[in-house]
Amino acid sequence: MNRSRFAPYLYVAPLVVLLAFVFGYPVVRNIEFSFKMVRGIDGPWIGLRNYELVLGQSLFWESVSHNLLLLLAIPVMVAVSLLISILLYERLRGWKAYRIILFIPYILAIPIIAVVMKRMFQFNGPVNEVLRWLSLDFMALDWIGSSDVALWTVMLLIIWRESALGIILFLARLLSLDESLIEAAKIDGANWWQRATRVLLPQMRGVIEFFVVVSVITMLSAVFAYVYMIGGGRGGPGTSTMVVELYIYNALIRSSLPGIAAAVSVMLLAVSALLIYPLFRVRSRDDGTGR
Amino acid sequence: MRVDSPLKHAILIVASILALLPTAFMIATSLKSQDEYAVDKVGLPDVPVFENFRSVIFDSPFFAWMLNSAILVVGAVALSAVVSCLAAFAIARMEFKGRDALFSVSTALMAVPPVVMIVPLFVLYTQLSLISTYQGAIVIYAGLITPFSVYLLTTFFRTLPEELFEAARVDGAGDLRILWKIVLPLSLPALLTLVVVNALYVWNDLLIAIIFLQDDAKRTLMAGISVFQGRYNNQIPLTMAGMVIASAPMLILYILFQKYFIRGLMAGAVK
Amino acid sequence: MTTGRWNGTLSRRRFLQTAAAGTGGLALGGLMPSLAAQAADTTLEMWWWGEQELPGLQAFLDESVAAYKDATVNTMLQDTAVVISQFQTAAAAGKAPDIQYLWNGIYHMESVWLGYLRGLNGLVDAEVIKASNPTLLSQYGGDVYRVGWYPIPMLWYYNKELFDQAGLNADEPPKTWEAFLAACEALKSKGISPVGGGIQDGYWGEWYLGHALPQNLDSVGEALDLFIGERDFRDPKYYALWTKLEELKKAGFLNDDMSSLELYPGIDLIVAGKLAMGESVGTRLPADSKATDGQIGVMVMPVYGTGKLAGKPIMDTQGLGIAAGSKNPEAAAAFLEFLHSPERLQAFWEKTGWIPSNTNFDTSVVTDPAVKAMWEDWALSPNIPYVSNLTPGQFYEQAMVPAAQQVIEGQITGEEAGDLAARVVQEWRDFNPDLVDKYKSWAKDLA
Repeated sequence: MNRSRFAPYLYVAPLVVLLAFVFGYPVVRNIEFSFKMVRGIDGPWIGLRNYELVLGQSLFWESVSHNLLLLLAIPVMVAVSLLISILLYERLRGWKAYRIILFIPYILAIPIIAVVMKRMFQFNGPVNEVLRWLSLDFMALDWIGSSDVALWTVMLLIIWRESALGIILFLARLLSLDESLIEAAKIDGANWWQRATRVLLPQMRGVIEFFVVVSVITMLSAVFAYVYMIGGGRGGPGTSTMVVELYIYNALIRSSLPGIAAAVSVMLLAVSALLIYPLFRVRSRDDGTGR
Repeated sequence: MRVDSPLKHAILIVASILALLPTAFMIATSLKSQDEYAVDKVGLPDVPVFENFRSVIFDSPFFAWMLNSAILVVGAVALSAVVSCLAAFAIARMEFKGRDALFSVSTALMAVPPVVMIVPLFVLYTQLSLISTYQGAIVIYAGLITPFSVYLLTTFFRTLPEELFEAARVDGAGDLRILWKIVLPLSLPALLTLVVVNALYVWNDLLIAIIFLQDDAKRTLMAGISVFQGRYNNQIPLTMAGMVIASAPMLILYILFQKYFIRGLMAGAVK
Repeated sequence: MTTGRWNGTLSRRRFLQTAAAGTGGLALGGLMPSLAAQAADTTLEMWWWGEQELPGLQAFLDESVAAYKDATVNTMLQDTAVVISQFQTAAAAGKAPDIQYLWNGIYHMESVWLGYLRGLNGLVDAEVIKASNPTLLSQYGGDVYRVGWYPIPMLWYYNKELFDQAGLNADEPPKTWEAFLAACEALKSKGISPVGGGIQDGYWGEWYLGHALPQNLDSVGEALDLFIGERDFRDPKYYALWTKLEELKKAGFLNDDMSSLELYPGIDLIVAGKLAMGESVGTRLPADSKATDGQIGVMVMPVYGTGKLAGKPIMDTQGLGIAAGSKNPEAAAAFLEFLHSPERLQAFWEKTGWIPSNTNFDTSVVTDPAVKAMWEDWALSPNIPYVSNLTPGQFYEQAMVPAAQQVIEGQITGEEAGDLAARVVQEWRDFNPDLVDKYKSWAKDLA
C-alpha cells in the first residue's frame, strides 16, 4: 500500500482531538480542581482538604449507600427479563405483539416516564386510590413523600424500565440459538423448567453477565435523570434519594463548590475505571459466542 | 406442555399490562378536564377533552424544545459519524503505531459516566462563552457518543473481506475513495443502527442539557419537560398532555421502524 | 428565594397571556435589529427571572425594552435552578451580564463578597433606590446592591368559608399558638383538613423557616449568628420552629398528602376549599381572591415565640443589580431608573396584575379589598425581612428543606431537626471558610 506514513494519523486526528477535549481535558482538570478551593473558575491550592471534607460528610456516604442499594434492583431485573424473554422465545400465539408492547418502557424517555409515575404514585393519586378501593390500604404507602419508601419507588421505576432492555438483549440472544438443542431436550421429555435452566440459561451466560455489568455501571453512575425528576431535583424527600451524581450536580450548581464536585467526580471516575475491565471481558466473551 | 400455555399467556398479559399502564394513564388523563380528573383519577374519560392538547401545542414551547433537541441530535450524530468513520477505518484497516492503544482507550471511555466531565467543562465553557450555545453542547454530545461509534464501526469494518480492498487498490483507488465508495455503502446497516442509538441518546439526555443549555430559548425537550411539569404541577391533565406530545416522536418512530430500533438498542446496550 | 415556583393557579387567561407574551417576545426580538438602528450604540445584557412566579413579567419587560431608546437591551430568561450559579460563573470568567436579576439576601450577597456586583450608591438615582425598597438584606458595608423590582409579601392563607363551617370567626384568624391549635381542633372535628400544603419540592420548608424562625429572634442579625457560630440550632429556642411543626404532625393537623404534593398544588388545596390554612405568597392573592370571590383571607403565622420579631408581617422584594464587570454601568443604571418611571410602573401593574416595588406607585388602582387590606397590613405597616434569604445554599439544600420534610413525615423530632441543622451549619463552615468571615461582617451590618 502506497499511503504516506502520516495518513493514518490524519484519519484518527479528529478522534484524538475530540476525545482529548471531552474526556482528557476534564479528567486532568478535575484532578487539579479537586485539590483547590474553587470559587467560580479557580482558587487556591488546599491539598487533600476537599477529599477530607467529602469523606467526612454523612450526606456523601448516604449518597453512596443509595447507589449501592440500587444494585439490589439487578437480580430482580435479571429474573424478570429472563422469565419474559424465555416465554417470548417460545413464540406463543401473538408473541410479536407482546414483544412490541414489552419494549415500550425502554422507548419512552426517563423524564417522561418519571413525571407520569410521580403523578400516579402521589399519596392521593390513582395507584393508592385503587389500592384503597381494593381494601389494600396497608399497601397505599406514601410512595413519593416518605423517606423510607421513596428510594424503593425510584428502584421500582428503574426496574420497570431497565427490564425492557434486558428482555431485548436476552431475546436477541435466544433467537440466535441453535434450535436443535431445545428440540432434543423436548424429545427427551424435559419440562419447561428443565429446558430453561439446563439448556437455555447456560447458553445465555455471556449476555446475562453483560447485562449485569452494564446495569451495575448504570446504578452507580447513570441514574441522575430518575432521581432528579422524582426527588424534586434535590434528592428528596429529605435526602433519601440523593445519589452521587446528584451530589456532584448540587455541589457545582447549588452550592457553588466546584472543588468539592471535582473531588467526588475523581472518586466516581476511579470506581468506574474499576468496572471497565469486567465490561471488556464480558463484551468480548459475548461477541465470541456469536451475538 | 400445552397445559402451561394459559399460565404463560397470563404472565405475558400481566407483564404487558404493567408495561402499558403508565402510558395508558398518561393518555387517558390527558383527555380529561382538570375537574374530571379531580373526581375520577383512575377511569377512562367520560368525553374526551382536547383542550389540554390545544394548550400544549399552541401555547407551550414544546415544539421549540423539540426543535432544539433535533438540532443537537443532528449536529452531534453527524459530527460523531464523521469522526468515527474516519478513525474506525484507520484502526480497522491500517497499521500504525499506537493503533491498539488508541482503540483500547477509546473503547474504555464507554464506561466513563458523563457526570464526571461536567465540572471542568462547565467552567471552561463559561470562560469561552460556550454555555447555552448549540455548538458547545453538540461537541460534548459528540464526544460522549463517539467511543461507542468507533467501537461498533471498527468491529464491523474488521469483518469486511480483504479482497474487497485489494481489488479496489488494484484499480488505483486511494483510501478515502475506498472508504466513501465501498466501505460506507456496505456499512449501511451498522451505520443506521449507530444513528438510531446515538440519536436516542442525545434526544433523551437530561444532565448535559440542563447544565450546558441554560438559556430559556435553547432548552431541549427533556429539560423542558422538567420545567413544564414543575410549572403546571397542579394541572395534571395538562401535564399529561405535554407528556403525550413529548413521547409522540419516539413512539411513532418506534412503531414505524421497529426493526432498526430494536437492533439499535441491542447493539447500543451500553448507552 | 421566596417563591421559586411557577404560579400555580394559572387560569386560562393567564396561560394565554403568558404564551402570547412569549410569542410576542419572540416577535419583538425579531423587531430588535430595526429598532437598534434607532437606539444608541450601547448594548446591555440582562439576565432575569420571574416569569415563573409572576406571569406577565415577560410581557412587561419586552415592552419596556422596545420602548427604551437609549440602549439596546438583550434579555435572557433564566431557569430557576441556575439563576445564581450561571451569573457567578459568568462573572468569575469576566462574562457577566450588565444587569442581573437577584433574589434577596445571600443569593446576591455572596456575589457582592466575591466582587461580582457593583454598589449602586452614586450610580443609580438615590430617590429611585429608596422608593424601590431593596430592603435591609441588600445592604452591605454602607452600600446597597439592588434596585427593588417587585415585592413579595410572605403570608399565610386561610379559607374563610371553611372557617365558617367550623364555627370560627372568619374575620379574626388565630393570632396566638393556643388559638391556632384550638382552631385546628375545631376544623378537624368537622372533618376539615386544618393546615399544611405541599413540601415535596421543598420550598414549603424554606418558607416555614422564614415565618417561624424570627419568632424567637430579636433582630435579623441573630439569624446570621446561627451560621457564624454565635448561636446554635441545638438551643431549644432555635429549633422550636421544628418542634412546633412536630406538634402539628403529632396532632394530625397536617394534610395527609403533604409529603408527596408540591408547593403550588398545596396552596391550591386552600383555594379549592380542601385545606383550611397554610403558607402562601402575596403575589397569588389577586388571582386567588378573584377565583374564590373573596373567600381567601391572609394572616401572619400564629405566634408561639417571644422574640421581638414575632408576629410581624414579612416583606421581601425581588430586585435587579449591576455587575461589577459591566462596561456600561451608567447605561445599565439608566435602564433601571427607566423601569421605575411612572409610566413603566403603571405598565407593570397592567401586564402582571401585581404591584411594583415603588413607594410612589399609586395603589388606588387596586380594587380588590382583600388585596388592598393585605397591602396595607404588609407593605405599609412595620414589617420584617424574610430571613430564609440569609441561609447559605448548602444549609438550604441539606438542612432547611430536609429537616422540615422529615419532621412532617414523622421521621424525626424537632430536637433532631435542630441537631441536623447544627451539623450542617458546621459542615458549611468547614466547606466554606472564606464565607464565614463575610457572614460575620454581614451580621454586624444587620444587627
